[in-house]
Amino acid sequence: MKRSNLIIPFGLAIVAMAVSLMLGRYGAYLAHVVAIAAIGAMSLNLLNGWCGQINFAQAALLGVGAYAAGNFGNAGWDLFSLPAAGIASALAAVLIGLPALRLRGLYFAIATLAAQFIFEYLFKFAEPITHGVSGLLIQPMKLFGRVIDTDQGYSVLAIFLLLLTWLFMTWIRRTDLGRAFLVVRENEVVARGMGINVPQTKMWAFLISGFFAGIAGALMGFTARLAHPEAFGMALSVDYIAMIIVGGLGSLTGSLLGAAFVTLLPEVIQRFGEAFHIADQLSALREMAFGLLIILFLIFEPRGLSAIFRRLDVRRLVARFRPHSTNPVRDQTENQPKWRSVE
Amino acid sequence: MTFYLQLAVAGIAVGSVYALIAIGIVLIYKCSGVVNFAQGAFVMLGAYFTFALTRLGLVPVAAVAVAMLAMALVGMLTERLILRPMMKAPIVAIMAVTLGILILTRAVCLAIWGPDQIAFPKLFPDGAVNIFDVFITYNYLAAALLSVCLSLAFLAFYQFTSIGLKQRCAADNTRAALAIGIHTGNQNSLAWSMSAALAGLGGTLLATLNGLSLGLSDIGLVAFPVIVLGGLTSLSGAVVAGLLLGILQAFTDGVLTPLFETFLRTYTRIYSAGALQQVVPYLILVFVLLVRPQGIFGRRGTERL
Repeated sequence: MKRSNLIIPFGLAIVAMAVSLMLGRYGAYLAHVVAIAAIGAMSLNLLNGWCGQINFAQAALLGVGAYAAGNFGNAGWDLFSLPAAGIASALAAVLIGLPALRLRGLYFAIATLAAQFIFEYLFKFAEPITHGVSGLLIQPMKLFGRVIDTDQGYSVLAIFLLLLTWLFMTWIRRTDLGRAFLVVRENEVVARGMGINVPQTKMWAFLISGFFAGIAGALMGFTARLAHPEAFGMALSVDYIAMIIVGGLGSLTGSLLGAAFVTLLPEVIQRFGEAFHIADQLSALREMAFGLLIILFLIFEPRGLSAIFRRLDVRRLVARFRPHSTNPVRDQTENQPKWRSVE
Repeated sequence: MTFYLQLAVAGIAVGSVYALIAIGIVLIYKCSGVVNFAQGAFVMLGAYFTFALTRLGLVPVAAVAVAMLAMALVGMLTERLILRPMMKAPIVAIMAVTLGILILTRAVCLAIWGPDQIAFPKLFPDGAVNIFDVFITYNYLAAALLSVCLSLAFLAFYQFTSIGLKQRCAADNTRAALAIGIHTGNQNSLAWSMSAALAGLGGTLLATLNGLSLGLSDIGLVAFPVIVLGGLTSLSGAVVAGLLLGILQAFTDGVLTPLFETFLRTYTRIYSAGALQQVVPYLILVFVLLVRPQGIFGRRGTERL
């Protein structure tokens, strides 16, 4: 792994933690909401952006994570409830992914849509585990004997986990498995010809994606102190798909930017609405802006925020100030056809 | 026995409206290869248009007709302005953009008409016919008859007229259609406008049955099990599957749910089976996809490994 791949995320994470500690409650709240969404978006990006499997059941996976974390956390597992939730979600993801062994593209996407609705029903139905429509109350997490119940505490935890996720994703992208994902996305026949075990590769994608979705879901549960079936509906799945598309399919920076964009947009509109005294139309306005932005992004900048980010050329700016810059980083996106996921 | 007949009648009525909406989705998919999640938005918008037009003082028949025309325009604009620039986009992007249309339309309706359920103007007289002790309200009767007739009429139009022939050409093989001088872009627009008009009518009929609210747009997602069951490319399959699904939902609601709840109360600590009739179609969808992905009437495609 290149050194810059380690330094940049670490630096960003430390700065983000420090800033979120200084910002006060609301800022810290925004920080952990964005960080958690980014973990979930990166998980979906691995599955959809890299391995090419469309998943409309991301909200269901997040929900499984939240319910698992709630149950394990209330039983006193504390920090271990996070990986436990991850494993529970990974198993659920493999279950959702099983039809992918027989179906492709659109048909598989519809199968995941079905999975989303079935899980949503199960959240309401399995009362002994989920407490049905009233939702499962979750006690705050204890870390090394100290209760985490402030937004600042959660923002540091979430940003730390986001950092781990980012590093893991960068690493897995460079392994044989990560390359196999891309080949499976591009052409399954070619993948088989290259000696890639396609079903196994797909299952790994679901397993890993599910694990991180579970972590994100667990954090959602702990920060909200409640796992509620309504919170993990189809609308949340759409949010996550919007995140990775608005950010840029297949790009980790894109997932982060997309997550920030989609989660902060309602907050911005809230402020805007308060400023102009149109509070009663706020929810309509929020949805309108969200829908319109998805449409406009897909028509005019299908490669997403990450492409815009690249055009700003941050890396070349950095390279100019570095003393031993050997080769300036070329803009790789300029000559690509419009509908091509980068990376 | 009467009870079951009653359920079947209600199921057929709702199912025929499903069929009408599913035809629209299949039509769009056949012609432009787009899976239209926004069909639910068209359904809802059509109902709201009819409502608004009757408010303006139009007689019901005229209101429904004008609303259908308006929906045709909406469908065409959607195709021209949003889908056409995205012709070569990956499938997830197209799905996402139709979801975006759904969200946007819902928000616009929310802003204009508010979140509450609205009493829909009476299109059909009150009362019911009594056939062998089975009561069918005029609402249900009209909805079923209208949608079945329209579905059949549309199938005939698609099969026997020259425009229908052009439509089938464009859907079957775009290049060949272009080569023999069919403007496939226009055919796409036509498919979208027809499908939006049908969806709008379906929405109006559903609103006469269940009242008018934003919840109507959820029907677009219920229609997906229908089209998969019938086969994504089969118009007549959509009709049959729509009827089947309507009946199935009615029986789940009336027979299966009480049975299941009794079972649960006897053997477990769970007291409610919840909205079982909303999940059963999806369970069947998964089953059908795994056993016969091309659907009951669909042609064997390449989507299977």
